[in-house]
Amino acid sequence: MSYDEQLRELDARRQAARKMGGAEKLAKRSEQGLLNARSRLDALLDKDSFREVGLLARSAVKADRDTTPADGKVSGFGRVDGRDVAVVSNDLTVKGASSSATNAKKIAYIKSSATKAGMPIVFLGESSGARIPDTMGAESMSQGGADPQQYCRRRETPWASAVLGPCFGSSTWYSCISDFLVMRKGGILAVSSARVTSLAIGEAVDAEELGGWRLHAETTGLIDAVAETDDEALGLIRRFLSYMPAHAGELPPVQADWTAPDAEALLDLVPDQRAKTYDIRKVIRAIVDEDSYFPLKDRFGKAVVTALARLEGRPVGFLATNPFIRGGAMDPDACRKATNFLVLCDSFHIPVILLVDTPGFLVGVQGERKGAPAHIMNMMHALQLVSVPKVSVILRKSYGQAFLNMGGGKNSDEIAAWTTADVSFMDPGIGVSVVHGLNRKDDPEAFDAACEEFRTGTSAYDMASVFGVQEVIDPRETRAFLTRSIATHTNRRTGGLGRRELANWPTYF
Amino acid sequence: MTDFPIESEIAGTVWKIEAAVGDVLEEEDVIMILESMKMEIPVLAPEAGTLVAIHVAPEDTVREGQELVTMRPAT
Repeated sequence: MSYDEQLRELDARRQAARKMGGAEKLAKRSEQGLLNARSRLDALLDKDSFREVGLLARSAVKADRDTTPADGKVSGFGRVDGRDVAVVSNDLTVKGASSSATNAKKIAYIKSSATKAGMPIVFLGESSGARIPDTMGAESMSQGGADPQQYCRRRETPWASAVLGPCFGSSTWYSCISDFLVMRKGGILAVSSARVTSLAIGEAVDAEELGGWRLHAETTGLIDAVAETDDEALGLIRRFLSYMPAHAGELPPVQADWTAPDAEALLDLVPDQRAKTYDIRKVIRAIVDEDSYFPLKDRFGKAVVTALARLEGRPVGFLATNPFIRGGAMDPDACRKATNFLVLCDSFHIPVILLVDTPGFLVGVQGERKGAPAHIMNMMHALQLVSVPKVSVILRKSYGQAFLNMGGGKNSDEIAAWTTADVSFMDPGIGVSVVHGLNRKDDPEAFDAACEEFRTGTSAYDMASVFGVQEVIDPRETRAFLTRSIATHTNRRTGGLGRRELANWPTYF
Repeated sequence: MTDFPIESEIAGTVWKIEAAVGDVLEEEDVIMILESMKMEIPVLAPEAGTLVAIHVAPEDTVREGQELVTMRPAT
């Protein structure tokens, strides 16, 4: 064959592979307002930066060779904001992006290359699960487990995933072991499809109920963010990566341009009356660089807020109790969310800032049924292993074990208290009832007198006197305190890198 | 769309009710305020919609998980 003929063949094969599942299926998707596997990569990556590997890969099953362009999973390397990333984009138009012998090799290649070279991986999920009949039978099953580290995370580099359609099998597993997961409304994340599940258990199953965005945003806490469109979801992945280092051997990138917010707002945002609640999210926004607030799992375990943000351009992680939700009393879901966030920050050298205003852990039968004490200890265990700078600020209340879980004592490198801080074992009113058996309704005078006694010795100055906090600050000084304290406690011996003892912890608690 | 209940996330006492039946609410609008753990705990609309029924009155004691109001989602 002449070069001419050979090159025509190469061109023809390339063009055929790029047609994915065919014009008809692609047209139907665009009618539904959905991007396809390749246009998603165009939206995610910097212009013309995508370099594909495995374009000409196809099914190992002879009969499927002409109907499996790229074998249903588009893979390669590109750039996000000028930084290298590796990608796998599932193509639902090719055999439902089902998992096969060839595309499993593609995913394994992307993972090992990205890990070795030190770049994040992005998985764009939309897949139907294992390819049948390829995977039927013992021979195929025994080949499937060839990689004993396939689902093992050591967080050498950050992973981000998006659920952009039905996700079962492969896409579900990679979604669940990623460091950041966004879901487009209408997508489904579950072990098996509603149809397979219905067949297996013999009853009708609604897809949204099985794995819709609301379930995962509010009940399971599996997803970090929700998006209305593919474009928005891909934008959120770009945003997440902007806070992350390329790999665990370097610090997160610093943005050169930033604007400080109006610190005066803090005095209005936090009421000085102890019974009044407020939204801590507004407080964080009034501390961090403008437009840098990036909440994770905002609809789950809402008594704590977990958010990435920047101080003078440097990424930081906020773990804050939110008095707006149950007064800021943490329940098991809040502890799970906090643990998850501490793992993320510790793995990628992001300093942790704890903002504290909590009456303690939420007590009650429901919490105990969910194993509340163990979730409290998981969070505590994680916090004590965190080796990036930890700095806390006590805004108002900090009571009981929650005082320790939110960085009290030696659990932070440095603690500041606002002048409104109030630290004790429990709320004075409850303490009076426990110790003296008094009730305000029965004997208001004796109750109030006993309360007054328990209210003494709990102030910011009482803490400062015994060096329980290192500083008492004007709320408006919070940003300056945090920025300087993090700088002070950054480990110069390692260039700021932590020990990453949480890097092998699970991606979900 | 079917109506849905909002349950109390905490045991406490109803202090005051801030919204009325028929009110059109945005996500996170305050519906009522409970008193619990010596704090005022707001009950928020989990999504936009209309308040169709209120099942409690001020000074009522509520249990964790008790239905407080019913909402109809915005279409």
